Amino acid sequence: MSDTQKIIEIEVLRYNPESDQEPHSQVYKVPFTDDMSVLQGAQYIKDNFDGSLTYRWSCRMAICGSCGMMINGVPKLSCETFLRDYYPNRIRIEAMAHFPIEKDLVVDLSGFMEKLEAIQPYIIPKEPRTLEQGEYIQTPSQFAEFIQYTSCINCTLCYAACPQVGLNPDFIGPAAIALAHRYNMDSRDGGQAQRMELLASEDGVYNCSAVGYCSEVCPKHVDPGNAVNVNKIHAAKDYFLRFLSPKGGSK
Amino acid sequence: MDGWWKKNPHFVEYMIHEGTAVFVAAYALTLLCGLVRLGQGEAAWNAWLEALKSPFSLVAHVVFLAAIAYHAFTWFKLFPLTMPPMVVNGKKVAPEVMVNTGLAAAVAAALALLGFVWRIAA
Amino acid sequence: MEIYKADVVIVGGGGGGLRAAIAVAEADPSLKIALVSKVYPMRSHTVAAEGGAAGVKKPTDSFDYHFHDTVGGGDWLVEQDVVEYFVQNAPKELIQLEHWGCPWSRTQDGHVNVRAFGGMKIERTWFAADKTGFHILHTLFQTSIKYPSIERFDEYFCVDLVEEDGRVQGVVAVEMATGEFTLIEGKSVIIATGGAGRVFRESTLGGIVTGDGMALAYRHGVALRDLEFVQYHPTCMPVTGLLFSEACRGEGGYLVNKDGYRYLQDYGLGPLQDKPKNKYMELGPRDRVSQAFWYEQQKGRTIEGPLGSVVHLDLRHLGEAYLHERLPLIYEMAQTFMGLDPAKDPIPVRPGVHYTMGGIQTNGKGATSLAGLYAVGECASVGIHGANRLGSNSLTELLVFGRAAGEDAVNYIRNVTPGNSANLLKQAQEVEARMCALKNKTGGTERISTIRKEMAQAMEEGCGIFRVEETMQKTCDKIAELRERFKNITIDDKGSVWNTDWLSAIELDYQLDVAQAMAHSAVNRKESRGAHQRLDGPNGAYKERDDVNFLKHSDAFYVPGCAPKITYGDVKITKSPPAARVYGAAGEQADQERKASNV
Repeated sequence: MSDTQKIIEIEVLRYNPESDQEPHSQVYKVPFTDDMSVLQGAQYIKDNFDGSLTYRWSCRMAICGSCGMMINGVPKLSCETFLRDYYPNRIRIEAMAHFPIEKDLVVDLSGFMEKLEAIQPYIIPKEPRTLEQGEYIQTPSQFAEFIQYTSCINCTLCYAACPQVGLNPDFIGPAAIALAHRYNMDSRDGGQAQRMELLASEDGVYNCSAVGYCSEVCPKHVDPGNAVNVNKIHAAKDYFLRFLSPKGGSK
Repeated sequence: MDGWWKKNPHFVEYMIHEGTAVFVAAYALTLLCGLVRLGQGEAAWNAWLEALKSPFSLVAHVVFLAAIAYHAFTWFKLFPLTMPPMVVNGKKVAPEVMVNTGLAAAVAAALALLGFVWRIAA
Repeated sequence: MEIYKADVVIVGGGGGGLRAAIAVAEADPSLKIALVSKVYPMRSHTVAAEGGAAGVKKPTDSFDYHFHDTVGGGDWLVEQDVVEYFVQNAPKELIQLEHWGCPWSRTQDGHVNVRAFGGMKIERTWFAADKTGFHILHTLFQTSIKYPSIERFDEYFCVDLVEEDGRVQGVVAVEMATGEFTLIEGKSVIIATGGAGRVFRESTLGGIVTGDGMALAYRHGVALRDLEFVQYHPTCMPVTGLLFSEACRGEGGYLVNKDGYRYLQDYGLGPLQDKPKNKYMELGPRDRVSQAFWYEQQKGRTIEGPLGSVVHLDLRHLGEAYLHERLPLIYEMAQTFMGLDPAKDPIPVRPGVHYTMGGIQTNGKGATSLAGLYAVGECASVGIHGANRLGSNSLTELLVFGRAAGEDAVNYIRNVTPGNSANLLKQAQEVEARMCALKNKTGGTERISTIRKEMAQAMEEGCGIFRVEETMQKTCDKIAELRERFKNITIDDKGSVWNTDWLSAIELDYQLDVAQAMAHSAVNRKESRGAHQRLDGPNGAYKERDDVNFLKHSDAFYVPGCAPKITYGDVKITKSPPAARVYGAAGEQADQERKASNV
């Protein structure tokens, strides 16, 4: 076993705010097997070389959204990215771009969480219903309108991919807008007008310049870029409609 | 964020796409010049036509054509990103179908226009 | 030390914790709720549940059917009055979730659809493709944002409970980003921290499933009930243990051995069925299906490969389009993690640890023996799963008992005065000193990862699908040894910011306690029931269920520095007396006989 053991070099961007002025690289030589993910590589380092290496992880199956990082400069979930695909080259892992680093690979997500909360991500019932009345009916085409946008796991890879988030950290950003869109498109919901105010604001959809990289890195094919761009149309429609209607487009 | 666009091939492609928009504007400006010259009378108009035949102008137009073709091509590639999802018979239209339909329509429109101009010229 | 004064403190931000938080917020908006979680709520392991949530839906179904499936599925080690409450409230909770936006999969006419699941007589599993847990969790989390009285403490790691006058009065938690301690006072505490499956090696579970809440309640004198019952899910990815949902079989997948033979027909689940038939073949209960794997392995009929012994989960006959519609996550996982296409290749699978049926002992409302302390979800033993949980009952459990515990906690605190803050602070400071001593101690030589690995190995050997006294005792001894060695651990990271090295040592400490209770509960149960199957005893006596001596809950009590004390408690039987637990054709016959005798 040991003589066939392959070893890959993993370069990790380390940063400990209690002792480092700025982030620095550290290289580890990690023995690996073909089924090992980049996450497992990081775990190997923590278990065997340095217990202080810090990263978020949990489910290992690309559904909890914890383990996003830059892998050779590309935002990816480390649990579903495999060391074998980089071997024999060195692999470089860093904290997700466009977020403040808290320590090593852990970034500050509080800004993202605020954006997520701000878009009112819950059903604002169009026609309230009691439990006794049973479920709402949704036809297959009504269902198809929003289901894709429910798949977001909040991994924030799209924020790490979006240069506009990098340039304006206040931009509500792809995932949160996609979530707003998810509720706007749901036939049970009547809250679009409330959400559009934020989407059309200075920090809203018009920050997007249609780079489209957010949709490319999305591990769940949510296509947040589409949600953002479709809402440019909605916001523009609202803007012009308010000249026609005394109450304004969406209000 | 300095030089962010150089860090990733996707961003480089994006910048080239956005950059070629300058050529679209330049060509529009050229046509606008023609309109202004037309308003100034026959002599001015003919001079403008003459200027278009200069070697510099010919080279510039070849560059315009290439850049605008690239811009158009990548513009249609963005269709699935920028357009509302299209549903036909209860099914979402696949992104590549959207792109290809857009491209085909653009080529057909260009050919039709070319044919029309050709007939007038003839 | 920071101090925050709440009315209700909820530890754990998964399905159970969020449902409880919403219940409290709706019952009394003036109450302050602290929702403490060591991960952002949407990372909680509810997210990984795939198949669905059970609740009567079809006109051909009834509460009675769901009741009998659950009681029989749990091999009668079940609180029948609690199951009654559960089945009656299940549909309401699932509809409530629909109103909150959960994208349940639907029929063509727009109603919520249900699918077949193991051990269920009628299709009653509500599903959202094969990402049901994910959708339930995100729906609850997003809905919780609506309530201003829910104050979240995201990425706060709970290190202890504080109690005074025999009542729980709050928790002590570490803000992971800073290492700062916070005392969160509350008149009631609801533990919703999930299971403890990571004490095993090959499991379907996320890294956070370390039994924290179980250990906290246990150390405060609350019993851990029926902890020996650990569910092995029959269809997991070899080595990693990642889960291929039971929905694969509910939708019509086959399990075949190396000869391409659907072996379940040999283990009391036949005769062979072409189409999925409830309670037959692949739709048998999980304990039986996992046990069948073990027998096949003994007979040399499993497939041997570099990843160990496996059988094949064959979905090919369902077709690519259907698989994409009903099992999209499974499809993606097989492609990404195993490099195969389930529409073209059979998937190699083997059993893996999936669920802890037992947990913190509670009554039917989630209340524990410690006043003010509640537990809901996998960390709790409310009494519905017994010796074997039926797939899709646990997601519903989060909702039904999350709400019940939340509402009961609101009633409880109406008559409770706040504790003495000075005393509570003093306790919290002692906790802080103890935790910091663990972090700052020097000279240790044991690595956390070594102890963790040895614990998981020992649990797998002693508390596997089939068990014998000798190896269970060895596991007990090993855990005792590891408890000692834990005192000599080394923590590399001495910092305050995001010290996961230190926190994982605290988690390991929790795990060792739970593992110890589990192993001792197992070795003391001298019978076979549900997921606890023994191969030993005088003349093999422990191979059989023993209702005379063991139709009883086991209660493990914490004894500092020693093995736990195990006692036994009664099981509540209302209308289903213990009977033979049979499936397939034999099960159908037993059903008919029961009906005939009732008439």
